[in-house]
Amino acid sequence: MGSLKKLSVSVIAAGVVGALLTGTVVAPAQAAAKKKIAFVMGAESDPFFQAMKVGAVAAAAANNVELIWQGDPSEYSPATQIPVVDQVLALKPDALVLIPTDPTALQPSVAKAKAAGIPVINVDTHVGDLKDVLSFITGDNADGGAKAADALAKAIGWKKGKKYKVVVGLTSATATTNVARLDGFSKRILRNYPGIKIVDKAYSQSQPAKANTNVSNWLTKYPDLAGIFAIDGTNAAGAAAALQAKGLTGKVALIGYDAYKANVDLIGKGVFTALVAQDPAAEAKLAIEYAVKYLNTKSKSGIKKNVVIPNVVLSKSSTAADLAKYTYVQK
Amino acid sequence: MSTVENTSIIKKFAGNQQFLLLLVWFGMVAFFSAFNSIFFSTAVFGNILLDWAPVVLMAVGQSFVIISGGIDLSVGSTVGLSGVVAAFQMQHMIESGKNQWFAIAIGTLVAAAVGIIIGLVNGFLITKAKIVPFIATLVTMGASAGLAIIYSGGAPVAGGPEKAITLSVPWFGPFSTPGLIVVVIVIICGLFLHRARFGRYTYAIGSNEFAARSAGINVNRHYLKVYALSGFLSGLAGMYYYCRLGSGAPTSGYGGELDAIAAVVIGGAALSGGVGRISGTVLGALILTTTTSGLIIIGVAPDWKQVVVAILIAAAVLLQGTKGDSRGAKK
Amino acid sequence: MSAPLYEVRNISKKYGSVVALDGADFQIHAGEIVGLVGDNGAGKSTLVKCLSGAHKPTSGSIFLDGAEVTWDSPRDAIEAGVETLYQDSGLAPHLTVSANVFLGREKYLSGPLGKLGFLDNKAMNKEAHEDLDRVGIAVPASNRSVSQLSGGQRQAVAIGRAVSWASKVIILDEPTNHLGARQAGEVLEVMKAARAKGLGVVFISHTLPHVLQVTDRIVVLRLGKIVANAPTSEFDAEKLLGTITGLNQVQ
Repeated sequence: MGSLKKLSVSVIAAGVVGALLTGTVVAPAQAAAKKKIAFVMGAESDPFFQAMKVGAVAAAAANNVELIWQGDPSEYSPATQIPVVDQVLALKPDALVLIPTDPTALQPSVAKAKAAGIPVINVDTHVGDLKDVLSFITGDNADGGAKAADALAKAIGWKKGKKYKVVVGLTSATATTNVARLDGFSKRILRNYPGIKIVDKAYSQSQPAKANTNVSNWLTKYPDLAGIFAIDGTNAAGAAAALQAKGLTGKVALIGYDAYKANVDLIGKGVFTALVAQDPAAEAKLAIEYAVKYLNTKSKSGIKKNVVIPNVVLSKSSTAADLAKYTYVQK
Repeated sequence: MSTVENTSIIKKFAGNQQFLLLLVWFGMVAFFSAFNSIFFSTAVFGNILLDWAPVVLMAVGQSFVIISGGIDLSVGSTVGLSGVVAAFQMQHMIESGKNQWFAIAIGTLVAAAVGIIIGLVNGFLITKAKIVPFIATLVTMGASAGLAIIYSGGAPVAGGPEKAITLSVPWFGPFSTPGLIVVVIVIICGLFLHRARFGRYTYAIGSNEFAARSAGINVNRHYLKVYALSGFLSGLAGMYYYCRLGSGAPTSGYGGELDAIAAVVIGGAALSGGVGRISGTVLGALILTTTTSGLIIIGVAPDWKQVVVAILIAAAVLLQGTKGDSRGAKK
Repeated sequence: MSAPLYEVRNISKKYGSVVALDGADFQIHAGEIVGLVGDNGAGKSTLVKCLSGAHKPTSGSIFLDGAEVTWDSPRDAIEAGVETLYQDSGLAPHLTVSANVFLGREKYLSGPLGKLGFLDNKAMNKEAHEDLDRVGIAVPASNRSVSQLSGGQRQAVAIGRAVSWASKVIILDEPTNHLGARQAGEVLEVMKAARAKGLGVVFISHTLPHVLQVTDRIVVLRLGKIVANAPTSEFDAEKLLGTITGLNQVQ
C-alpha cells in the first residue's frame, strides 16, 4: 500500500516534469476572442525549429493570435509526434500548422483535424496527400540539394572523365526534406557531373555524435574521399567535427545544410566549403499569416496551395551581411 | 571419462564471461576485417575508441549502480546537460579572453559538477523520498534532457576553446588524450570496485541490502555515493563529447543510457545486483562500438547494430541463467 | 546471580496505533543462553530489533554492563559488542566467506592505499578461516563465494561471523530454521561454544525441542507482554507450548 502510494506520487511527479518539458505555450490566453493557432513541429532540440519558433512567435504577436507551440523535445519521429498532435487537437485550436515527421503516418492526424473543422497548413515537410491541406510552405529542398551538388562539384574541381567518391549523411530515410534534398543532389550529379559517385549513406537520427561516427569511419574507409554532403544541421555539425579531428579540413570538401551559428562560423575557417541555408522563420511567418487570413475571410483567395521559399548558398565569398541574415536565430 | 573432463573445461571457460567476450570481440574483428581489410587498421581502432570512451564512462558508472542493485536511466541526459552547461561556461571564458586550456580545465570541472549534482538528486530521491531507482532516474532523465534543450535553445553551443577539438586527434596509436584519460579513469574505478571498501560495500548492498545494513554499513550514504559517481562519470562523458564535436550539443548522450546498460549486461552483470565486473563492462562497451564502426566499414546500415546488440544481450542473460543452474546443482 | 550483562526495562514499541511491545523487561547474563519464544506476532521480532539497535523503542530503557545506552543504528550496538543474526538474511551470497565475515569492519592494506580503502584480502581470508575454526565451524575455503555453500554451511558461517565478532551479547533469530537435524545440532554446538566464551546468547526459535535442549532460561512473549521468565528446568514441551498459546500460566 505504502509503496503503491509512493509509486503513484513519483509517477505523477514524472508526469508533471514531462508536461513542463514537452512544450511551451507561448502567448497565454487573454481575451476569449483571440484566435488560437497550434504549431506542431518536429523536434524542439533542432535549431532549425528554434529559428522557426522565432518567426512564428513574432508573426503571432503581429497578428494578435495565440500561438500553441508544441513538439517532442528531442526526437524527430512520428511515434512521438502523433500523440502531441492528438493532444493539441483536444485543445480545439482554430488552425493547425503541422510539420509532419512522416508523410504517411501523419495523414490520419490531418484527416482528424479536418473532421474537427480545423484547417491545416504544412510547413517544411508535407503529408502524402495534400487534399486536406490548405497550403504547403517549404524551402525548395530539391533545389537546395541541386545547389549543394553544384557547390560540391566546384569545390572538388570536377573535370569530365575523372572519378570522385562522395558520401551523404542523412537524418531520416523518410522525412520529405531529406528525401527531396537527396533527390535534387543525386539528379543534378547524374545530369551535370558524371564521374561523381555517392558511395555511402547513413542516418544519424538528429544526433551530431552519430553523424560524427559515420563520417569518421567513412574517412577511414575511403582514403580517397572527395567530398561530403551533410544533409542537415546535425549531420553538418558531426561531419565538421570529424574533418577537424582527422586533420582533413580543406582536403575533403564538406557541403552542409542549415545555417546554425556554430556551422556558419566554420565557413570562415574553411571547414565548410559551402552551407545551404533555408529561411525557417520566413516559412513560419507565412504559415501564420495564411492561417489568420483564412480564419478572417473563410476563403482560400490569396492563399497559394504551394509556396517555395528558395534556399541560398553561403560560402567564404558571401558577404558578412548575408551570413548574418541567414544564420538561424537562436534565443 | 574424457567427455566429463571436456564438459568441465567448457564449463570453466563458459563461466568466465570476460574470456567469452574477448573471443566474441576477436571474432568480430576477424569478421569485419575479412569483409574489408581496412577494418584492421589503427585508424579504424581510433574510430572505435572515439565512440568507446564516452560509452564506457557511462557504463562504468552504470556498473556500480547495477551491482548495487539499482539502475540509472539519467546518464544519457546528464551527458547532454553537462556538455551544454560546460559549453556556456567555456564560451563565456573565451569571450572574456581567458586561456584556452584553462577554459577546458574549468569546463571539465563544471561538467563533472553538473553530473555529480544530478547523481546526488537521484540518490536523494531514492534514499530520502524512497522512490524506486527506475522511476527516480526516469524523472531526472526527463528533467535534464529538457533543461539541456531549454538552456541551449536546442542548438549545439559553440564559441568555446577551439583547441578542444584538436584533443580528439589520436596520437598514441589509436588513443587520443581524452581517450587515454578515460582508460586511466576506468582502471581506477575498476580498482576501487574490485579491491577497495567502496566496491566491497557496493557488492554487499546489491547482494543483500539487509545483511549490509545489519553489518553496520551506512547503506543510504553508499547509494548517494554510487549515484553521484555515475553522474560524475556521465558529466565527464559530456565534456568528452564537447572535445569531440567542438560544441556542447544537448542531444549528445541521447540514448546513451541504453548503450550503457547494454554494455553492463553484456559484460555479465545481473540487474538483480551483486554481480558484475569492470572488465566485462569494458569489453561490453568495446563490442557495442566495434559493431557500429564495423557495420559502417563493411557498408551495412548501422541500424543492424540494434539487432546485434539485442542478440548479445539475450546471449549474456542466457549465460547467466546457466551459471545459476550449475550453482544450484552444487547444493 | 550476578548483575545482568544486557537488560531492557519496561520497554514499549508502538507502530502507529499498534502496540507491538508493551512494557517488557528482559535480561541476559554473561555465559547464559536465553530462549525467547512466542507465537507469530507476539512481539519477538520487535524486541529483537530494539535489542539490536535496528529500531528505537517508543519508551523504556536499555542497559549494557549496568550503564544506560541508546542505539541510533545497528552500528552503535555492534560497536558496543552486541551482534545480531537475523533470520535468513545474515549473508551477502555474492561475496566470499571472508568478505562476509569481515563485512562492515574490513582490514585494510598498510600505507596510503589502505587509507584509500584498499582491502587486505589475504589477511581477511586467513583470519576468517581461523575465526570460524575457533568457534567450531569447518568451511572449505574462506575465499569461496557464499552462494556456493550449502544452506547449513551458510548458516554456520553467519553464526560463526556473529560469534567471532560479538564481545558481549549475540542475538540469534531462528538460526536453525530450514536446517537438517545434523546441521541444526552443529548450530546448537556453536551456541554452547559462545556461552563458554562468556557471551550472553539470545536464542529466538519456533523449534521448541531446540530451545529446551540448549537454553538455560526461557522467556515467553504473548501479545507484546512477557508472560513467563523461568529456568529451562521448569519447562517441559507441553508446558512451554501451553504458555506460548496462553492455555496455562506459569506461577
